Amino acid sequence: MSYLEIANSFPLYLVVGIVLFFIAGLCLLFIVKSYKAGLAIGMDKKVLRKAITSSASFTVLPSVSILLGVIALSGSLGVPVSWLRLSVIGNLQYEATVAEMAAESMGKALDSSILNLDNLVTILAVMTFGIIWGCILCILTLRKYSSKLSIERNKKGSGNGGGFANIAMTAMMIGLCSAFVGSYISMAIRATAFIPFLTALIAAVFMAIFEKLAKVLHSEILDSFSLALSMLFGMAGSVLLNMGGVV
Amino acid sequence: MKTTENFEYSDYINSIHRFGRVGLTIALLMLLAVPFVFSMLTGAEIQWNGFIKASIAVLIIYIPSCVVEYLIYVPLLGPGASYLAFITGNITNLKLPCAFNARDIAHAEVGTKENEIISTLSVATSSLVTMVVIFIGVLLLIPLTPILSNPVLKPAFDNVIPALFGALGYQYFKKSLKLTAIPLLFMTLLCVVIPSLVNSTSFMIIACGAIAIAAGFIFYRKGWIK
Repeated sequence: MSYLEIANSFPLYLVVGIVLFFIAGLCLLFIVKSYKAGLAIGMDKKVLRKAITSSASFTVLPSVSILLGVIALSGSLGVPVSWLRLSVIGNLQYEATVAEMAAESMGKALDSSILNLDNLVTILAVMTFGIIWGCILCILTLRKYSSKLSIERNKKGSGNGGGFANIAMTAMMIGLCSAFVGSYISMAIRATAFIPFLTALIAAVFMAIFEKLAKVLHSEILDSFSLALSMLFGMAGSVLLNMGGVV
Repeated sequence: MKTTENFEYSDYINSIHRFGRVGLTIALLMLLAVPFVFSMLTGAEIQWNGFIKASIAVLIIYIPSCVVEYLIYVPLLGPGASYLAFITGNITNLKLPCAFNARDIAHAEVGTKENEIISTLSVATSSLVTMVVIFIGVLLLIPLTPILSNPVLKPAFDNVIPALFGALGYQYFKKSLKLTAIPLLFMTLLCVVIPSLVNSTSFMIIACGAIAIAAGFIFYRKGWIK
């Protein structure tokens, strides 16, 4: 059997399936627990369901993009390894970078024609070992850290959501969006790439339109799906721009 | 607000910590065991020299960012969502915006019980959807590959993140244009001057976030934003 035939063999799929099944079960457990807690503190069922549907619709398109990462990595690492690594912990940028670093440390490259099974398990071990530290911090310190945070909030009198806390959260999201949008604007200014900035702009324009429509039509469905729809229009715009010769 | 009798919110939080810690410990042990199980199944052996060499390089780069991400994301997400976000990954580009979007839709305020519940629901749902989409994709890998790898569609999937942050940016930038101007100008100018920073967006998020929070604090103290 060739390297890729073994890397794509059924027993490996089975092992990955068991691990992912466990983590999916944990997510399901948290959904049930938080949904019940929400009802118990008097939250509206509608609000809870809306949080679930909007999160699900929000996630579909980025997940398809992650799936493309699975396809890209599966050419060199096989499907089971790529499936596992991109379904949980880390992100595409991390996985691709670390896989390359691990292959290089063995004097190889991410190419199925030169990798062997020893390289594959070593790369997988490095990819896993390098990213577990956030989880370890959660296991060891999250309880203490989050209770310290809530004590601080109560001291500052913002436990009910008031004060600087809300501004800080909004500011953090503005900073997060600025980091990405700013990089797209800079590429457009330097005339190296226009599509990322124009895609962001199209998505923003559609977001404004959908938000206005949802308000005028009092449509809760549109309200929940406006972000996912705006992304879809932005992505469609990037296809048209590329066909039009824009770089 | 009507609440169910005999429900103690602190019991809920305690059980989230209990299940989170036990669940993450088991999940981590399973993930760490996979390379060894693969070795047993295929007869392969981990090359320890290569492993140590690569791990040192990876840890030097990623341990500081793991610690900073942990310190920043836990206050934003709350405990329930944090346990899940750290075990399922894609925090910056998916889980965090997803939780904030759900929180905005639900009008939940920071530091409230509602906020913690909505964030947990949102991150758990998002994690499940990602796993399901990838699972379906893996099942349909052969018919899907030519469609998803089609050169006509390639720009669409290359630009998922710009589309996401364009739409999300609109929602947040309009909340305070004054506040937006500072990190946005900072990032734009910095990337024009040092173009290689475009590829280090995940590190620049920390700088932009810190600048935006600092500016927010000054504006708040001066009464320019409420």
